[in-house]
Amino acid sequence: MTAIPPTLRTERVDARDKVTGAVRYGTDRVPPGLLHAALAVATIAKGRVTSTDTAAAEAVPGVRLVLTRAGEGELASAGFLLGGGYGFQSLQPLMDDRIAYRGQPIAIVVADTPVAATEAAALVTATYETEQVSLDLDAEGVEVVEQAATLPPMFADLVAGDAEGTLADCDVRVEGTYDLPVQHQNPMELIGCVAEWEGDDLVVHEGSQNSGAIRHGLAAQLGIDAERIQVISPYVGGGFGQKNSLQPGTALAAIAARRTGRPVKLVSTRMQVFHNASFRPASRHRVVIGADRDGTMRAAVHEVDQQTSRHDLYPGSYTEITARLYGIPNFRGHQRLVRTDVQTPGYMRAPYEHPAAFAFESTVDDLAHQLGLDPVAMRLANDSTADPITGQPFSSRHVTECLRRGAERFGWERRTHEPGSMRAADGTRIGWGVALGAYKGAAVPAVARITASSDGGLRVEVGGHEMGQGIRTAVARTVALDLGVPAADISVVVGDTRSVPQHLTAGSWGTAGALPAVGAALGELRKALGLAADGPADVAAAVAATGQANVEVEATYTAPGQPPEIVLDRLRRGLPAAGGPVYPGFTAFSFVAHFVEVRIEPVIGRIRVPRVVSVADCGRVASPVTAASQLRGGVVWGIGAALREASEVDPRYGGFLNADLAEYTIPVNADIGDIDVDFIDVPDPLLNDIGVKGLGEVSMVGVAGAIGNAIFHATGKRFRHLPIRLDDLLG
Amino acid sequence: MRAFTYTEPGTVTEAVAALAAAGPGARFLAGGTTLYDLMKLGVEAPAAVVDVHRIAGLATIDTSGPAELVFGGGARMADVAEDPVLLRDYPALAESLAKAASQQLRTMATVGGNLLQRTRCAYFRGGRPFACNKREPGSGCAAREGLDRGHAVLGISDACIATYPGDWAIALIAFDAVVDVLGPAGERTVPLAQLHVEPGEHPEREHTLAPGELILRIRVPTTGTGRGSTYHKIRDRESYAFALTSAAAAVALDADGTVTDARLALGGVATVPWRAAEAERSLVGQPLSPDASRRAGEIVFADAVVGTSNGYKIELGIRTVVDALRIAGERATQ
Amino acid sequence: MAVPNQAVPTTVAGSVPAAFQVNDRLVELDLDPRESLLDVLRERLGMTGTKKGCDHGQCGACTVHIDGRRVVSCLTPAVQVRGTTVTTIEGVAGPDRELHPLQQAFIDNDALQCGYCTPGQIMSGLACIAEGHADTDDRAREYLSGNLCRCGAYEGIIAAVRGCSAQGTAEEVSG
Repeated sequence: MTAIPPTLRTERVDARDKVTGAVRYGTDRVPPGLLHAALAVATIAKGRVTSTDTAAAEAVPGVRLVLTRAGEGELASAGFLLGGGYGFQSLQPLMDDRIAYRGQPIAIVVADTPVAATEAAALVTATYETEQVSLDLDAEGVEVVEQAATLPPMFADLVAGDAEGTLADCDVRVEGTYDLPVQHQNPMELIGCVAEWEGDDLVVHEGSQNSGAIRHGLAAQLGIDAERIQVISPYVGGGFGQKNSLQPGTALAAIAARRTGRPVKLVSTRMQVFHNASFRPASRHRVVIGADRDGTMRAAVHEVDQQTSRHDLYPGSYTEITARLYGIPNFRGHQRLVRTDVQTPGYMRAPYEHPAAFAFESTVDDLAHQLGLDPVAMRLANDSTADPITGQPFSSRHVTECLRRGAERFGWERRTHEPGSMRAADGTRIGWGVALGAYKGAAVPAVARITASSDGGLRVEVGGHEMGQGIRTAVARTVALDLGVPAADISVVVGDTRSVPQHLTAGSWGTAGALPAVGAALGELRKALGLAADGPADVAAAVAATGQANVEVEATYTAPGQPPEIVLDRLRRGLPAAGGPVYPGFTAFSFVAHFVEVRIEPVIGRIRVPRVVSVADCGRVASPVTAASQLRGGVVWGIGAALREASEVDPRYGGFLNADLAEYTIPVNADIGDIDVDFIDVPDPLLNDIGVKGLGEVSMVGVAGAIGNAIFHATGKRFRHLPIRLDDLLG
Repeated sequence: MRAFTYTEPGTVTEAVAALAAAGPGARFLAGGTTLYDLMKLGVEAPAAVVDVHRIAGLATIDTSGPAELVFGGGARMADVAEDPVLLRDYPALAESLAKAASQQLRTMATVGGNLLQRTRCAYFRGGRPFACNKREPGSGCAAREGLDRGHAVLGISDACIATYPGDWAIALIAFDAVVDVLGPAGERTVPLAQLHVEPGEHPEREHTLAPGELILRIRVPTTGTGRGSTYHKIRDRESYAFALTSAAAAVALDADGTVTDARLALGGVATVPWRAAEAERSLVGQPLSPDASRRAGEIVFADAVVGTSNGYKIELGIRTVVDALRIAGERATQ
Repeated sequence: MAVPNQAVPTTVAGSVPAAFQVNDRLVELDLDPRESLLDVLRERLGMTGTKKGCDHGQCGACTVHIDGRRVVSCLTPAVQVRGTTVTTIEGVAGPDRELHPLQQAFIDNDALQCGYCTPGQIMSGLACIAEGHADTDDRAREYLSGNLCRCGAYEGIIAAVRGCSAQGTAEEVSG
C-alpha cells in the first residue's frame, strides 16, 4: 500500500460532495413532469428497415410517443467530430431506413415510467433486408484506405532519414506483428441525458467531455440557433474518450421532449453503450527495428492497419509516439484505415499510444534479449534530446530520469537476465518487465473568467470538464496558491455552456488549457484591482475599494504558434482546436517509465501483477493528490488492457457479443496490487507559463508493454496480441 | 419487462398453492438475482410471480446434526458461506459460495434459487437476434458455430452447449446432496445428481422439478472427507466472474497417505453440475500424487467435445483438477 | 424496524401499496411490481446518490443496505423492501452533515476520481467492515470486488476501508 505523503495531502475540492452522494451527474436530474425514454435497436448487422411495427409498443399503458423516423426537417446529421462536425459519427439514427451496424437505434419510445418505456421499446419490431458484412481487419469486403493519401497533412506518414535503407545495413534486425483487439471505454456512468424545453430554448443535462459540441451539434441537428441551447455537464461519471462528442440519443431526446411538451430522460443500457457510442478499434502493427550490436537503434518501421467504419474515417496517430520514444534517426511510420461494418470507432484512453507502445516496446524488448542487453540500460543508451522527426528540441524530456528513478524504486538491479530464471519457492514464475510511454503535449484554447466579490467570494469559470481527473481541484489550487486564499473559498464552474465557451476535454489537455487561461485571468484581476503582480492579496478589500460588489475579468489562452483568432473562433463554435505536439521551435511530449512484476502461478498459470512502479514526466505536477490517482488509474487500465479486456464479435451477427460488465471483464479490486507512483515534477519551460504537460493519457501508455515484457521474462514466451489470458499460457 | 401479477404468501404451503392457482407461466421469486435480471432482459416473462423471499422458516441453516447438514432453500448464500461448521469441516461448500458473484449478490441470492441459476451464454441472454434453443425451442444454437470460449465441452448436444453457471451445486454434488421439494402433489426428495438434466434435444428443460415445486431445503450427508476439500475456481479475473473451469475436490487419506475416499465434481466445463465418479474411483487406493491427479483429470475429459475456442478447457480443466486435489490433500493431512 | 411488514396475501395485478423506511424518512408509495428499488430511489424519490452503472448486478454502483445488509438495488424489485429500512449514501453522514469516518477516509486517501462509483463503494465498504471482511488487505480486496471502479481508484479504496476498519469504526456503520 502506498500512502500519500502528508505534504501532498490536498483534498479534491469536490470530494466531500462525491462521498456524500450530493454531486449531480447529468441524468441525476429529475425535473417535474419528467418522462422516460428508451431505444429500440436493430437486430441485423447491416441492411435496411423495410417495415416497423409499433402497435404493441403504443398499446403499453403510459406510453406517450413511439418515434421511428424523424419528421421532414426535424433532424439532421451533426457530422463527424473528426470530419468537421460534432458527433461521435456522422450517421444519425432515425433519419432513414439504412442500418449500418447491429444495435443501431430504430425507434425511441417515451413513457411515464422507465418500466413502461423499456417494455414498449422491447415490443417494437421491424423487418429488414440484410446485406453482407465485413467486421474485422481480415474480413472479405473490407475497404482499405491509405491514410496519408486521403486525410489532411496532419495524418501523413512520419518519416525521418531512410528507415528501409538503414535497416539493410544494421547488425541486427527484429520484427514483430501485433494484433490489438476492440475494447470499450465503459465509464461507470451510462451515456444519457435529460432534455428540457423552456419555450424555444433547450436545456440539456448530460455527462459529457464536450458540452460545446453538444450545444453546437444540436443546433445543427435541430435547425435552431446555438444561443437557444444550453448544456450543463458539471460532472462526468467517467468519459475516457467515449463522451467526447455529441451522442446520437441526445437529439432524439430533445425531439421527444419537444413533441411531448415534457422533459425527457434517456439513459442508454450498458449493451447500447457498447453499440451506440465509440470504442477502441482493432489495430494491427508491424514493427521492425534495426540496431548495432551494442544496442544502438538506428532505424525503425512502424506500419499500422486500423479499423474504421463505412461511414467515417477515424484516423490513426499511432506512430506519433513511436517515432519519439527513442532517438532513432531513421524512422518510417505508415497507417492504413480499414472500413468495416461498425459504428464509428473513436478515442479510448491512450487511443493510439497504448497499442503503439505495446507493439513497439515488445519489439525493443526482443532486441535487448537478442543482444543480451539489460532492457533498462539499452533504453537509457537510446534516449534522445531532439525530436527525430522535426529535428527540434523537446520542450522537456526526462526519460532517463524516469528510467533511473523507476529502476531504483523497483529494485531492478536484482533482476536476472535469462527468461524463466526468477522463481519463487513454490515454483511461481516471476518476471520483471519495463516499458516506456509517451503522449503528445497538446494544448487547446480556453477562456477563463474570474468574478471577485467584496465579500471574499471568488468564482472561476473556465473551459473544461470534470471527469475525475481533478480539473476543479487544479483550478482552485492554482487560484488559491496565487492569491493566498483557501481553495474552499473558490467556486469553480466547468462544463457549463452558460458560462464561457467549452472545448472538448480530452487528450490530457484539459489542465494544460484551463490553467494557463486561469493564470492569465489572475493577471487581469490583479491589474483590475491594482494589486501587486504576485504574492498574497486581500482580494475582498481590493474589490470593496472599487466601490463595486463584484469585479469581473476575462482572459483567453491559445497554444504557442496557433493563430488566436482562428482557434478561438473554433472554440466558440464548439469545434476541436487542439495544437501540438509540434510547436514553433519545440516538440512537446509527456513521458513515463513503467516497471512491472508478474507472477505466474504453478500448474494453472494465472498471471498476476503484484506490483508496479511508474515514474512520469508530466512537467509541473499541478495537483499532487489527483495526479497520483490519475497515474495509478492509468496503470489499472494498462493491466485491464494487457490481461483482461476485449470486445468480441460474432461475424454472423455483427455488433459486440460480450456487451455487458460481466462478460467484458474490466479489472476488479482483487486484480490490483501495489502501484507505486512518482513524478519528476520539473516544470516544462516552453509549453505554457505554468509548466504543465498532460498526465491522464500517458499514465496508461506502456503498461501493457511492460506486462508483456515481464511475461516474456517469466516464461520465455512472447505474446504479440492482447489480452494475454491464461489459455495463452497453457500451450 | 412484461407486466405480471405479484403475490407474497406467508407460508410455503400458501406459496405452492398460489403458484398453482396462478396457472402456467408463474414463477417463484426469491433473491431475484437470476429471475429478475432475466426479466429485465426480456428472456424471462412470467405472467405471475410468487415472492417467497421472506417466508418464515425457509431460511433455516442447521449444520449441528450428526447425520446431515441442512440448508433452507431460502437461506442466503452469504450466510451459508460463513457458517462456522462449513468453514471448518467442508471448506469446498463454503468456498463455492464465497467465490460466486459478489457479496451484494450473495446477500440477496438464496441457496435454493442458486441451484437453478440459468446459463450465462450470451446468445441465451442476448435475446433477439440470436438463435437459442433454450430460450426459443427450435430456433437453433448460435453458440455451436459461434464464440464458444466460455462454453461447455461435457454433456453437450447438437441443440445446446451452454455452460451450467453455478458454483454451489458443483460442491454439493460432490457431497451427495439431496433436495427436498414441495409441490401441489406434496413433498418429495430429489438427489442433486438428478436435479439437472443435460440439454439433449430439449435444452429448454433444465431440471426435473415439476411445475410449481419449491425447493424447501438442501441436505448434505455429513462426512469426514469434507475437511480435506476445496472449491477451486479459475476465472478471467481474480473475482466477480463466472468459472472458466472449476473443481470441487475432497479426499480422505489414511496414515500412509493413501486415498480412502475421493470426491470430484467440475464446473464451467459442462452443461450440468458434473460429478466425476470414474475419476474418483481412479484415485482411491493409491497415494495422492500429481500423476494420479492428472490421470483423474484426463479421465474426466476423456469424452469431451470441443468447439472453436473452448478446446483449452480440457487442459485447463485437467490442471484445475490437479491443483484442486493438491489443495484438498494438503487440507486432509493438516 | 420502523414500519410493519405488510405481506400481500392476495394477488395484485396493478400496483402494490408499500411502506418502507429510507434513511430517516418513511416512504409510502404504490409500486409497480416491475420497478427496481434503484429506479424508485432515483426517479420517484429523487434520491440520486445511488447510481445506475449496468442495471444488471454487474457493477455495484447501486449498492444500498436493506436492514443493514448490502444489496444491489438494481436487482431488487422495490416491492421486496416493504417493511424494511433502506440505507443509501444520503443516510451515511450524521444529522449535522458530519461525515462518517469512512467518507472522510475516502477523501483522505483520494479513493475516488470521477466519483460515480463512490456511493456504491462506500455503502459496500461500510458493510464490508461490519461483516468483518476488512481485516486483511486481500480479504478486503475480495469483498470489495463487487464494486467496479473504472477510474482505477482501488488502492485508495482499500486504504480507506482498511484504515477505517482498523480504527474500529464498524460499530458506527449504518443500518
